[in-house]
This record gives sequence, structure tokens and C-alpha cells, in this order.
Amino acid sequence: MAGAGCRLFETTTPAASPGPLLPGQTDAVFTTTRPTIGAAIDDFLSRTPAPVQPIEFPHNVHVAKKIACTDYCHESVTSGPVAGLPSVRTCMVCHDAIAVDRPRIKQITAMRAQGLDLSWQRVYGYPAPAHVKFNHAPHIRAKVECATCHGNIGEQTVAQRNVELTMGYCVNCHNERKVSIDCQTCHY
Amino acid sequence: MDRRSFIKLTAVTGTSAALSGCGNPAAPLVRFVPDEDIMPGVAAWKPGVCPLCAAGCGLTVRVMDADADVVRNGQAGVVRILAAKKLEGGPMHPINQGGLCARGQAAIQVTYHPDRITQPLKRAGNRGDGRYEAISWDDALKEIVSRLDALEGVGNQKALAFVARHAYGHRAALVAQFLGRYGAPGPITYELFGDEVLRRANALSFGREQRPTFDLPNARFVLGFGADFLGTWNSPVAQGHGYGAMRQGRPGIRGAFVQVESRMSQTGANADEWVPARPGTEGVLALGLANVIIGAKLRPADAAGRAGSLIDGWSAGLSAYTPAEVERATGVAARRIERLARQFADTRPAVAIIGGPPLAHTNGLFSALAVNALNALVGSVEQPGGVFFTPQLDVVAAAKLQNVATTAPPPALDRFAAGILSAGAAPPQVLFIDGVNPVYAAPSAWRVREAFEKIPFIASFGSFLDDTSKLADLILPDHTFLESWSEAVPESGATIAVASVAPPVMSPLHQTRATADVLLDVGRRLRRPVALPWQTFDEMLAATFGALPKATPDADTWSDAQEKGGWWGTLPAGLAAAAAPAPAARPVTSAEPQFDGDPQQYPFHFLPYPSSAFLDGSLAHLPWLQEMPDPLTSAMWSSWVEVNPATATRLGIGQGDVVEIASAHGTVRTAAMISPGIAPDVLAMPVGQGHQTFTRYASGRGESPVPLLAPLTEPATGALAWAATRVRMSRVGDPDGRLILFAGGMREETETRR
Repeated sequence: MAGAGCRLFETTTPAASPGPLLPGQTDAVFTTTRPTIGAAIDDFLSRTPAPVQPIEFPHNVHVAKKIACTDYCHESVTSGPVAGLPSVRTCMVCHDAIAVDRPRIKQITAMRAQGLDLSWQRVYGYPAPAHVKFNHAPHIRAKVECATCHGNIGEQTVAQRNVELTMGYCVNCHNERKVSIDCQTCHY
Repeated sequence: MDRRSFIKLTAVTGTSAALSGCGNPAAPLVRFVPDEDIMPGVAAWKPGVCPLCAAGCGLTVRVMDADADVVRNGQAGVVRILAAKKLEGGPMHPINQGGLCARGQAAIQVTYHPDRITQPLKRAGNRGDGRYEAISWDDALKEIVSRLDALEGVGNQKALAFVARHAYGHRAALVAQFLGRYGAPGPITYELFGDEVLRRANALSFGREQRPTFDLPNARFVLGFGADFLGTWNSPVAQGHGYGAMRQGRPGIRGAFVQVESRMSQTGANADEWVPARPGTEGVLALGLANVIIGAKLRPADAAGRAGSLIDGWSAGLSAYTPAEVERATGVAARRIERLARQFADTRPAVAIIGGPPLAHTNGLFSALAVNALNALVGSVEQPGGVFFTPQLDVVAAAKLQNVATTAPPPALDRFAAGILSAGAAPPQVLFIDGVNPVYAAPSAWRVREAFEKIPFIASFGSFLDDTSKLADLILPDHTFLESWSEAVPESGATIAVASVAPPVMSPLHQTRATADVLLDVGRRLRRPVALPWQTFDEMLAATFGALPKATPDADTWSDAQEKGGWWGTLPAGLAAAAAPAPAARPVTSAEPQFDGDPQQYPFHFLPYPSSAFLDGSLAHLPWLQEMPDPLTSAMWSSWVEVNPATATRLGIGQGDVVEIASAHGTVRTAAMISPGIAPDVLAMPVGQGHQTFTRYASGRGESPVPLLAPLTEPATGALAWAATRVRMSRVGDPDGRLILFAGGMREETETRR
């Protein structure tokens, strides 16, 4: 139970007795803590589990077809903080007609029929306690190549971690380009 | 645990986790296809209307993508939705002008509350034990319809009762129309801290049966009589904004503020001068000031017009209210009365504000009329820096409806309960509960719970199980304000007419339905349908807002209102609720306030007050408000009783000691809070905690003062005189940790030890 840790320090407060749970309710508490102790320790040690993607998406094939990253799949990268991970609906804009006989396309067509979406996992990410916010849009405006962090995506199928996104990595580049290294630029 | 052992422990557990869990991939989520195209990471700000009190402040709601847990076809997973993430005050809104109080900020927790009722429920156990089973909307509506059809079949439509909060606006008008056309009496309204007495006084003095609005930015002297206008009373955000302008908004001019009350409120703590008067004598003090003003010929007595003529002896100069007499009654020194009177008459514009405890005595109407007359005497009615009345949109006229002929005005809640419990009465057969919790908020002497238990069928529209809705046989959960069309017609807070409205800002999270739509649906399904001209609530809103004046000739009022979060401006004659001709009334004389309990046996006045966090207790389920320190005591997550230091010393009571407070109607044990801001013969206790049932955050937490209250009422309005109970107090134990203070916490403790 997620709240159990806090309860130890609240022994003096009278115990609440809200009564039996109603249908459709859970006793789970909305919390920003981790679901397991293991997850908390992984976070503490900055260990991010390797992402597992729902299908082995071939970036190389799409790049070879001259589809720009920002065309459909990651279109919010120029306007907002996150690039966006496409819904199966985005895939089907093209793949309703194109390459419909390929096994992976058949797989996602079947998923859409069941109302299931692709549960992409983020390749990079920061542990919440670091309070780091990365915003794609200003980096795109500053003409930082996608490849700086994401490698040559034209040679990858599933996107890989190509660099170790430590604070040193970010600050080096900010120093080279003479942009702000104020704490509040990234930590807020 | 010190730092060193923490690091050691981390190393040990980290290593063992490394052995077992290293490189485990995150469990893949089941993700469903979203219903709408969503741009991730980009926020939109949409208008909203705050539902937590009657002020009707406008909101701006930050909406962004989020993952919601859902179950589809029996499979649990997540789906991307557009979700409300943050509430702020609507920057253009004429009531709150961009501000939002702490309660409004916490309103977002209503939508995401873990104990929200997520689907229609049918009672499965005995009444009141809180066991329910899921039921489909179709079956639930069939049940309601069959109950109403059965009443109609035997011509007993009067046996449908509807309990709600006092409200203006479209939803309330729809409810009244539904009940009237079905043949039931109008809704029974109840609020512990209602303003019925003040509304009645304003109707008598000025012909406006509504709460007042104060032009604080232009006032130079404000005299408060018990009104917590910066904290919990009337339209606090509008008043806080105006107060700031009065104090600091005019270069070189700082308005003065004097507060008369027997317990220092959050508002009183801001005053330049704090005047404790005996409870129930505030009206006498106001007339004492008027006596000085008239006697010194600072203003002529007839300047007060009708408001003055309602006070017995006014034209003769109020000879019964000389400063010496008033000192005897109120305990305020005669010289101070003379000084305040001269200040009030000379520093114009000056305005007097009465609200809260002074009106909650058996002579509350007299006090309100006295303060109204004082305002009229110095020419502060409908004048810059004075009292105004917000023009009210007549929703029924704007919707082109006929006012429904109600057979008889609905009874007050106490009479309603007594009627059910009396032998031989024909009790209601069906009860609808909408947004009120009278089992918690009404004095136990009214026996509301016992009365409700006798009603064969109860349906509740609330989103949470509370002390009252736990008695329901059927629960038809409403959307929250973020998921449905929301609206308000503010009764006060602006000098122009205001009607707030906002479309849903997000899709419903759960299997809930908007109550207004449910009523329309039920009306259509009845054997003899209740014919209302709309299919859904938003059609009604479109009709009324479409009838309002356009800003420019080619503008569309309805679209504009949805975009801005409301309509405000000048109402044309046909759409403004007419100022009623002031009803005939005989001049009133000062009446001694009556108190329940013998002064020898019960030596203290007992003053319950709305807590800054929970108002009348309806917000105790929101954890942000539970953890918000009270502005005067810094207490949180708990209840307390405020005791004067001299009284505490006399009775041997220390800070945090457990004390027992007893009235002739009940007892409560709570923690003592030693506070210099309270008169020695008064004990004050915040209302809000002490729910038996109200989600995991409020159930069984703290104590409520309401069960102690005597069933005394103000005779003209029937409103509960909630400040008229006398109590005794005794110490029963040492501090037991039930009082949780923010101040004096860990940090200060450490510093003292050093």
C-alpha cells in the first residue's frame, strides 16, 4: 500500500474509517511515489530500465522513404516540450493503404480493431526528483540536430539510447553554444 | 535515523536490489486508442465556473494531455485524455478579477478524488451501512421513473421532496421547473451559514431580497459587524480584491477599517481597530452610533428614509440608545462609541457591513435592519463607496418560461423533519438530495436523520458518500464542474449583472451523468411527461444566453459567453429580476437576544464559525484543504475550541488539553486552543470536521460543534440562530496529539533545544 510509509509518522492522528469501498472504487491513493521499493531504488541510483517497444518499429525504413520526423509522428517537437509518441491512429493514416501485407502492419491493424493503442516507452527520461524539464521546441529552434541526442536515426530500427544524458552532457553543449546554464533553465 | 545510517541502509538495499532487479524492463502498459487527437505537452486554458461556494467566481482551467486508468472490455489499461491540471481565477471575470481563493484552488481535487462515486449505485445492505452495488444508468433511471409514476398514479405528486442548497441560476431554475411541472413542492433549501436573515432585512430596508455588494475600492471607512468578508463570507475574492484597493490602491489615501466581533476572525485580524461587543448586541451598537450622528447633527435622521423608519424611535433621535445605555448593553465604552460615530459620519464614503454571527441570534433581523439604517443615514446606499445590489438575471424570463405555480412554499428543513416525525402526517414518499448534507450540518435537535430514515425512497445526486447520502437507496452521481456545463448567476460581488457559464473542459472520467440532464431525461420518460422545451441542459443555457444583449450588432452572445466564461453588462428591463416593492413592516424595537441554556449552568457563549478551509464542512473531503493551516491558529487536519487565556488559567486548561464542551443538547470533546482573540465568556469552534462518513480524508476526523447547537431560530425568517447556544467547559485530559499545528513544528522545536 502506497500510503503505508507515511502512516508510521502519523500515529497520533485518529484513524479514518471511511467504510466499505463502493463498486468502481479502489483503495489506491494517487501519489507521486514509486509503485515498488525496487522502482524507488532504481530512481535513486538513476537506473532506467531499457525500454521495450510494442513493435520493432523500423525508423530506418521510414527515414529512407524521406518522411521527416516532424511530418506526422513527432509533429509537436517544434511547438512543445515533448516530441510526441504517435498513436496507432497516426500509423493507420498511411498504413490503411500502404504495405498492408507486412506482419508488423497486420499486427497494428489488429490492435486498432481491438481499440488498443501502441504503448511506446520513452527512450530517455529523468527521474522525477531531479526536477529536470527538457523542452524540445527551443532546441529545434536553435537548430540542434536530432542526431545530437538520438544518433543517426536512419540507421536504427527501434530508437536506442545513444548518449548518457547526464547533467554534464547537457551543460557541455550549453557552454559550447554559449547559452544559459542557470539552474532554473532546466530545473524548475 | 541519522544521515550516516541512512546512507549505509541505502547501500545495503541498493546492492540487494541490484542483484535481483537490475535491468528489469518496465512492465508494458495496455494502452487504448484515444478518443480525440491530442497535442502532447501543449496546454490550453479554458474557462470554468468555481462550484465550491455561492460566490460564482470565474475560472481559467489549464488543460493538457494525461494518461487515465480505464477498464475497457474487462481489460485494465490507460488511455490518453485531455485533463484539467490547474485552476486559476478567470482574469476577465467581473467577480474575482483573476483572483481565486485557496478553496477554489483545491476544487480540482473534486474531480480526481479517489473516493468519487464512479457509477450509479443501488443500496445493497441496510440503510446507512454504506454497502452498495453497481447498477446500470438505464435500470437506475427506470427505478426513479417507476417511483415518480407510482406517485402520479395515485395523485400524490406532493410526496416528492427535493433538498438542495439555496441557489440562483439555471440549474436551480431547471430543478424548480421540473418539480413545479411534476406537481411537487419547490426545493427545500438548507445551509448552516445561510444568509436568509440578511436577505430579508435587505428586502425590508431596500426592496432587494439578496446579499449585498460593497464598493470597497471607493470606501474610506469600513465598519464591520462580525462579517468575515475577507475569509469565508459572501463573495470573499471580490471583497478581498476591493479591500486591497481600499487600503493601498489610492496614493495618499488609506481607508480605515474597524471590526466589531467577539471572536477575532481572519478579517478582524486585518482591522486597524478591533471592538469586542457582547454577542447579540451588534444592532444596539449600530443604533448607538446613529444616536450620536443624529444628536450631533452630523446627518439628519430623515436621511435614512425607509431604512430608518423601520427602527422604532428613529425619527425621535433614538433616545433609548444613548452612548451610556449602549455601553451597558454592549460592553463597548461610551467614549469609544462617540468617537467611532464621528469617524463614521465624517470619513465618507463610509460603509457598515454586517454578516455572520450577529445575524445568527434570535434578534438577528433587528441587528441587520439597524446596520442597514446606519448605512442609509450616512448616504451609503447605491452610492460610490457604499452598499450595492448586483442586478439579477431573471433566468425564467430569459428562458421564456412561465413561473411555475407552486402549491405552497416548501417548508423549512426543521418543519419538514418535524412533519415527518409527527404522528398522523402524510410523509413524503420520495426524497431527492442534491449537494447538501443536513444530517451533518443541521442541529441534532432537528432529528433530520431520523426523519429521513422514515422516507421510503431516497435518491442522491452527490459525487461522494457523506453523512446524508449514506441513507440513499439509489445514487445517481453527477459530473463534476469540469466535466459538465457549469454556470452561476452570482447574487453579489459586482455592481453589474453577471451570468457565468462554461462548457465542459474535459470528458467525464467515470460513468457519471450531469444531474440537470438526468432530470430532463426522467421528465421525458415519465408516463405523464414533464414537458420542458430542451433535450439537454446546454440547450437551456443557449436559450437564456441567446436572449441577453449583444456586445456588438453582429456578435453572437452565446458563443461569446462560452469563450469568455460568462456574460456581464447591463440587463434590459424585461430580463432583470424586478426590485420587489419593500413589504410593509412595522418598526422594530431592539429585542434582547435569547440564549439556550441557563447562564449559571452554562457560563459561555458558544460560537461555531465556518472554517477557512471547509466552510460549512462541505469541503472537508479535499486533502489540500485538510492540510491547509488555519490562518489564525495554524491548525490543520484537526478540530479545536478557542479559549481566552484568562479563562484557560482560571479553569486550569493548557494549550492542546482535551476539554469537554457541553450544551443542553450534546457534548463534544476536542482540543483547547488558547487564543487572545476571543472574549473571556465566549468559546468558538470551527465547523467542518467531525464527519462520520465523508471519504477517507474526513471520515472520523476531528469533531463537529453542530450537534451542540440549540434549535433556536430567528422568528421572522425561521433561520437557525446558530450563535445562540450557551455551553460549559471542563478539562478532561492532557494533550493527546489530536491538535495538529503547523507552527511550533519540528523546526522551532529543534531551535528551542539548541
